Amino acid sequence: MISVEEYVTLLRDELALPVTEDDLGRSLDTVDAWDSVHLLTLCTLLERQTGRPLPFARVLEAPSLAAVYELATAS
Amino acid sequence: MHILSAASALPGPPVDNAALARRFGMDALWEQWVEAFIGTHARHLALDLESGKVVTTLADLAADAGARALAAAGVTAGEVDAVVLGTATPDRLMPATVNIVADRLGIDQVRTFQLQSGCSGAVQALDVARQLLLAGETGTVLVLGGDVIARFYDVARDLTRAAPAELVNYVLFGDAAGAAVVSARPAPGSAEVRALFTRLVGLGREPGAVLEWFGPADRDDDRPAATEDYKAIEKHVPEMTEEVLLELLRAVGWTDRDVDLVLPPQLSGRMTRLITDRLALPAAREVSVVDHAGNCGNAIVFLQLERALAGLAPGERAIGVSIESSKWIKAGFALEGGAS
Repeated sequence: MISVEEYVTLLRDELALPVTEDDLGRSLDTVDAWDSVHLLTLCTLLERQTGRPLPFARVLEAPSLAAVYELATAS
Repeated sequence: MHILSAASALPGPPVDNAALARRFGMDALWEQWVEAFIGTHARHLALDLESGKVVTTLADLAADAGARALAAAGVTAGEVDAVVLGTATPDRLMPATVNIVADRLGIDQVRTFQLQSGCSGAVQALDVARQLLLAGETGTVLVLGGDVIARFYDVARDLTRAAPAELVNYVLFGDAAGAAVVSARPAPGSAEVRALFTRLVGLGREPGAVLEWFGPADRDDDRPAATEDYKAIEKHVPEMTEEVLLELLRAVGWTDRDVDLVLPPQLSGRMTRLITDRLALPAAREVSVVDHAGNCGNAIVFLQLERALAGLAPGERAIGVSIESSKWIKAGFALEGGAS
């Protein structure tokens, strides 16, 4: 499990994305510096941290960082 | 200038994305990401993935490709008047790899040149060969290109910690060498180069790709050995490709309907598909190798030419485009199939 605060810290520290909690709901294509390589790194780090695989097909459809978080933490 | 033959050499068996994922401890998601966003299924590496040691040299690959091209053209080593090699990754800074390759092939007493070049190096080497042929003293040139990017692989690297600009290098590239025999005179099965140009367009532009080299004074420097500004490449290469195509069509007086074969830049499986779709040549068959060979730098165009020559009927027309993104060079050529 990973909290929202930890998620934002991960985005800032590991991916060097200049985001705050307010940015999580934004459409991914409006997130500064975001690209598909960040998506890969984010998913890999989330899988390691949560210890569970992420469904890639659904990750691809995730419209926002919040949606990726939900996929990583959904029970 | 007539291209009499083309040949290639690839090290070892293909390394697919699953094998790369296993080696770097990455999982199914990583593999699926490579398939979706890079679109390159496999590449050959001059590297033993287990030990991380380079096991095949550029000279090995280029000599192999050169021998095959000479045999296919029916040209002996003694009939070669000059050798030109393009590479970004020579085995050593000295001696020049081109001269090692010439030695392996039994070629001596001729002009040899090695170009320090990127993805358009094959076209630059062909351009040098063409100038030599035009000067009149030279009848036959062996043109080579290749890269061994494997030495930039660090098999102990944790790819989850690699910056995006460094990470992409682990999945984009492959190792290979290629060769072509060119002559001032046609031969059965040869293709005529109707137009060919290379042009630096890097004034004021930041490099799109950087490969470092290190010596005793800076070998412990922690700057990454290979980085790529893939966003700049993604933006500029498709538009430059279109510009090169239009310039070549104008130069030879063809329309887009006259192109039977297109040899597009081979960045990655996905990028090459996007570029080919954008060119929208109505009658052209695509000649691509990147899906299974990766982006193999200076070898790419030779791998494409090898396939193109096999499929180019007399009178058929081909356009090849190559964009070098390290300091930005536009390059391309127009070919016409000769009499069989």
